[in-house]
Amino acid sequence: MTHEELEASVPLYAAGALDRTERQALEAHLLSGCSACHAALKDYQSIAALLPLSLSPIKPPQALKSKIMAERGPAPVPVELPPKVEPVRQSLEPGEWMDHLFPPVAPAKSSSLPWALGIAAVLVVAVVGLLVWNISTQRSIDTSNINQLEASLKDKSAALTAAQREAKEQAKTLDELRDELQRRTHEITVAKEQLALRETELEEAHTQLTQRNGSRTIATPQDELATLLRSPNIKAVSLAGSDVAKQAVGFLLYDSRTQNAWLYSVNLPECPAGTTYQLWAVHDKPVGIGTFRMNAGETARLLVKKLPTFNEAKNFAVSLEPSGGSPQPTGQIYLLSRS
Amino acid sequence: MDKPSAQATSTIDPTLLARVAKGDHQAFSQLYDHSSTLLFTLAVRILGNHEEAAELLQDVYLEVWRKVSRYDVGRGTPVAWLVTLTKSRAIDRLRARGARGYQATSSPEAGTAAQVTDIGPSPFETQADQELRTAVGAAVAGLPQAQQQAIELAYYEGLSHTEIAARLNQPLGTVKTRIKLGMSKLREVLQQWRITGDLQ
Repeated sequence: MTHEELEASVPLYAAGALDRTERQALEAHLLSGCSACHAALKDYQSIAALLPLSLSPIKPPQALKSKIMAERGPAPVPVELPPKVEPVRQSLEPGEWMDHLFPPVAPAKSSSLPWALGIAAVLVVAVVGLLVWNISTQRSIDTSNINQLEASLKDKSAALTAAQREAKEQAKTLDELRDELQRRTHEITVAKEQLALRETELEEAHTQLTQRNGSRTIATPQDELATLLRSPNIKAVSLAGSDVAKQAVGFLLYDSRTQNAWLYSVNLPECPAGTTYQLWAVHDKPVGIGTFRMNAGETARLLVKKLPTFNEAKNFAVSLEPSGGSPQPTGQIYLLSRS
Repeated sequence: MDKPSAQATSTIDPTLLARVAKGDHQAFSQLYDHSSTLLFTLAVRILGNHEEAAELLQDVYLEVWRKVSRYDVGRGTPVAWLVTLTKSRAIDRLRARGARGYQATSSPEAGTAAQVTDIGPSPFETQADQELRTAVGAAVAGLPQAQQQAIELAYYEGLSHTEIAARLNQPLGTVKTRIKLGMSKLREVLQQWRITGDLQ
């Protein structure tokens, strides 16, 4: 229960309308030292205590007082009884809050003995011993009360210590978990950095390999292409040769895991000196992706480039451009994807 | 019977209980004089039976005599303590009776010759008591009938809000709200009365 719920249950508690579990929850809350609820309860209980004043008053029987005064006096007071003789009650009753911290010593017994006899017997026995008895009884009661108070205090202290220890342990566990989380987060960051590094290295290695192999470009990437083609993350776009290169054909493969685009072009004519082929991704306007050359005798060429925006592109094209590529296509289109 | 003091039932001084705790017989006698009518009225209302109420009162006062040293003024007034103790023990009896299948007389008892109870204010009732009695009576009577009924079922019959909802065939939330509103209204009206002497 939240504090608001507990606070809202105070008037119900004072009226005696709470269920057992709710009552116990509020009592535990009060014992935890909530001064706001404590004050509210005191207030509401003082109002609840006035309710019987709205009833028509009925006087108790006149004989009742003397009966009580007599029994309360030298009658056997269960001072010596062990403190737990009272049968276990269903629960704390409404209003018990005022005294329930100290469990009752023993139930009052309503005796059905003939009182006249009792009083007479008591008078005979007690006249001499009354004073001594009173003093000793009172002391016994006081001692008993003090013992109970001490026992109760010990119990509460022990409970408090246990609760504090538990709270400490939980705080410690929480700290450990937080440290662990930080450690894991750090590890993930490092792993990501390493991964990025490895990818860069791999790409560089590919580039170097491509450059080094010259005319035998396809040999090594073929294996990679084979791997790539088996991957479930692959998207493929085919490019057809334009009128100026009817024999040419291209395949653009995209690996969404690595965001690499692979252009495999076949039968493109040799690049005249001072020119290069340039791959374009057409979004709203063409964006240059990369350049490659076709030298004399080459029939196929592989271009690998990072292309995170692959999915956004509408079309792909390869044009012949001056060496180094152009910001916008200026030359003839050699390959064009089928849209 | 001891000589009555001018102390009002509603304002029993906590020092009187302190004297009782020290075994002061006269103080105990005064405590009885100033509280017994209120407690007996309450016991009769809950138990519906004068004899059982008298028996209960005897138990309660003996318990008070034994446990008075445990009374903590920080948790409530002496009257609040006595009333809650009496109510609590009376409802215990009511439940025990229910468990035994006892059938209470449904109509209020007719007075018999054997009974020495009578109706009317205690001779110890002061003017302050009478004024408070009038104020509380008016405050309770001023509540909407439904709120009054819900509070009385909880207070005098020891029913929980769930039991009240079942008894009245009303949603639980409605019953809770009625009790809360009723208690808040009583608090408001009686606090106002204490401050200004007027009833709203």
